Amino acid sequence: MSAWSELASQRLPRSEGPWAWLAAGSVALSLLMLGGLLLLIAVRGLGHFWPAGVVQLELEDGRALAGRVVRELPLEQGERERLYYTANRDLDGQVWHWLAVSDIVASERPRDLLVLERRFHGEFIGRLVEVGSVDFPDPTSTATADWNALQASLAELQALRSERDRLRREQLRPLIQQLDADPRDAQARRELAAVNERVRALQHAMQGKVAILESADGRRLVQPLDEILRAWRPNAMTTGEKLTAWARGVWRFLSEGPRDGNTAGGVWPAIFGTVLMVLLMSLLVAPFGVLAAVYLNEVAHQGRLTNLVRISVRNLAGVPSIVYGVFGLGVFVYGVGGSLDEWFFSDELPSPTFGTGGLLWASLTLALLTLPVVIVATEEGLARIPVQQREGALALGATRFETLTRVILPMTVPAMLTGVILAIARAAGEVAPLMLVGVAKLAPQVPVDAEFPFLHLERKFMHLGYHIYDTAFHGNDVQAALPLVYATALLLIGVILVLNLTAIFLRHYFRTRHGYVPRQ
Amino acid sequence: MIEPPHPFSPSRSRWRRQRDRLATGLIALGGIVVVLAVLAIGVFLVVEVLPALLGGQLDTQRVFASLTPMAWGTLKAALWAMLFSVPLALGAAIHSSMFMSQRLRSRMKPTLELMEALPGVVVGFIAGLVMAPWVERHLAGTLTLLLLLPLGVLLAGGVWRRLSPAWRRWFSLSRAGLWLVPWLALLVMAAFALSPWLERLLVDGDLRVWLDREMGIDYASRNAMIVGVAMGFAVIPSIYALAEDALSGVPGGLGEGAHALGATRWQTLWKVVLPAAAPGIFAAVMIGAGRAVGETMIVLMASGNTALMSLSPFEGMRSMAAGIVVELPEAVPGSEAYVMLMLAALLLFLFTFLVNTLAEVVRSRLRRRYRWLGVAP
Repeated sequence: MSAWSELASQRLPRSEGPWAWLAAGSVALSLLMLGGLLLLIAVRGLGHFWPAGVVQLELEDGRALAGRVVRELPLEQGERERLYYTANRDLDGQVWHWLAVSDIVASERPRDLLVLERRFHGEFIGRLVEVGSVDFPDPTSTATADWNALQASLAELQALRSERDRLRREQLRPLIQQLDADPRDAQARRELAAVNERVRALQHAMQGKVAILESADGRRLVQPLDEILRAWRPNAMTTGEKLTAWARGVWRFLSEGPRDGNTAGGVWPAIFGTVLMVLLMSLLVAPFGVLAAVYLNEVAHQGRLTNLVRISVRNLAGVPSIVYGVFGLGVFVYGVGGSLDEWFFSDELPSPTFGTGGLLWASLTLALLTLPVVIVATEEGLARIPVQQREGALALGATRFETLTRVILPMTVPAMLTGVILAIARAAGEVAPLMLVGVAKLAPQVPVDAEFPFLHLERKFMHLGYHIYDTAFHGNDVQAALPLVYATALLLIGVILVLNLTAIFLRHYFRTRHGYVPRQ
Repeated sequence: MIEPPHPFSPSRSRWRRQRDRLATGLIALGGIVVVLAVLAIGVFLVVEVLPALLGGQLDTQRVFASLTPMAWGTLKAALWAMLFSVPLALGAAIHSSMFMSQRLRSRMKPTLELMEALPGVVVGFIAGLVMAPWVERHLAGTLTLLLLLPLGVLLAGGVWRRLSPAWRRWFSLSRAGLWLVPWLALLVMAAFALSPWLERLLVDGDLRVWLDREMGIDYASRNAMIVGVAMGFAVIPSIYALAEDALSGVPGGLGEGAHALGATRWQTLWKVVLPAAAPGIFAAVMIGAGRAVGETMIVLMASGNTALMSLSPFEGMRSMAAGIVVELPEAVPGSEAYVMLMLAALLLFLFTFLVNTLAEVVRSRLRRRYRWLGVAP
């Protein structure tokens, strides 16, 4: 039988076959993983701020507990166990309880259960017995105290606190600066004493009151009111109130500093550190990247050497970030920083000033890391400008420099912006090099303040990405920190996605505005 | 009134020419300095490492001995990541270049680019703290997934052939990447629901206990499998983007000719497009490998950081990048550990730089070939 009839006897294939479906499946799987990851982070990160309901439990052995359900896991033989967050670290010594579901006899959601966020010992979950003064605590009283009384006292305390902060900010600090300048100013000295007296009186007024609290199993606790940050009764809140509380929680997360070993509070210093570092970096990377790209594309002789340099620069974008970190540590921190210390800060040695990681070195390292990104993007933009534009400008008598500054660079601005934005997006997510050149677990001082020279380039700073790593892997209570890590991750991803989308949009806009003319 | 100088007066044009020369010179100087600064990284690492190693003050034997497990761990992590990502990324590239409509493809690429932008620290956190404990509890379910997902996709393909033409047009293969997503999500849930039952049937009880008892495999919570999946996830977009470029850059005439002779799209791909684009796909895989070798945070957070030398997917490892980031801040400059870590950084640099250069050379040859084949991409 000839080959032709053999072929003809086969049925022509009607479908694409199994491999085409597997290829389609891999697209679907990639999308599923991406979507699942984003959804997980978004739900967990945003859900943390929702004032979840609190349940009161009665167990088989007669114990009583109150807390929030965190998760549920299957045990052997069809049993299930639940993890409850019960707070009250000062009473129980721990905040987590694993309970077998079958041990729970009764569970209800009483409306009077109270959650307090406190400055020490974390949260409290229980009931309010009485709000009284510190001199006459009456632990025998059984009357259910008025929730409104607590709220009123807390509002009063908040007013006192903001009055104290205002006094400190507006009167105390200027007076101290005045005295620093002229220590013999008797008038200022008298005023300072008077203001100090008022602040002390306010402090004293704050310390007066206590709340008597009762945990779910009936133990009493005397809690000074000025240590209470917030109080709410989640079971009695309406959906609208919960939404308001959620929005406030998100705002506090964005605007406050971390507390309790990074397991509570917000990430404001980390946001500030990340933004400041990235800003400094883009100030460094934008001009130098554009300069190098203009040189490579417009000035240098387009020969073999330039092509080699161009390929090397492109390849440096693929070199792992950690290698840049090593370079930053060796050259900037130990090399340049060490020399600077010897020349200018020798009286402070052996404790280093610039000879250790800091804001400046971190920005420089990341600038170096993102230079290839900016150079490549700008070069692409330059290569895309139609050659007629150049020829037209030159034909009208412009010099090369004039052609460059008046015609070519303005047309390349979107490409430069794309490059810088991509560089920023990459730098905001990099953590590994920062761990070598200047990030800190907890930086008490923000690198910008009112003290000369205002911007402290040698200080260490906090960073969102490192905050995630550190809180998740080096915290004391990972379970408690997890929701905040999710929220931080969501914030970081949000910032990076917005930056990337801007870059994509700019690129698209740029492509449609000037036709694509590839380099010949 | 003073006459404005004529634009072509000799003095003004001389001044303009001088300004032009000065500015060009300055740009050249600045450009060269920036380029040199960028290229200085390699020089710096060589200068730090070579004299210390050749100087004879350090015990080079010990330096290499402590480097070996880290190099092994790096390669192992990269290997598992590539095992996970290469089939997925190439499959996705093939699907979007051969089957997707132009419109859908122009949406697909930025989406996967966003995937690349996800910071390593976030992927590492999810892998180390969420996925690792989950997989440890649902090991059987995870392994079932490996089998169930491809089978489920094939099943979908089989069912599709039995559909009426109207349904087929609605659920077309060119949109399969989208409508398969909910089906896959369903399969994932089914795998985890089925796995306890399968476990009881096949290994009577807990798979982990069985692995330990029967096969002598010690299961570590943070292991190479987790690293492979997490890092594979991070590497997929870069392989996908480059492979997709290579595939859709193949001159259209080749594919159209094959179609005209009666080949299906898959036959066209396998016999015509893929051989033409093979170097580009090779380059994409190389660049992916370069990324996997250098990725730091994912390995650090998901690998357990134990210096073991085994190929088992259920055991941890320590990679060079993770070792550098943990140990270098404490190492005293000039000490044995410092030189060892610098050597590790140099190796990382050389490896990625060479791999990328190779990939770049291959890609530029490929572009020339496409141009020679007729239609420019």
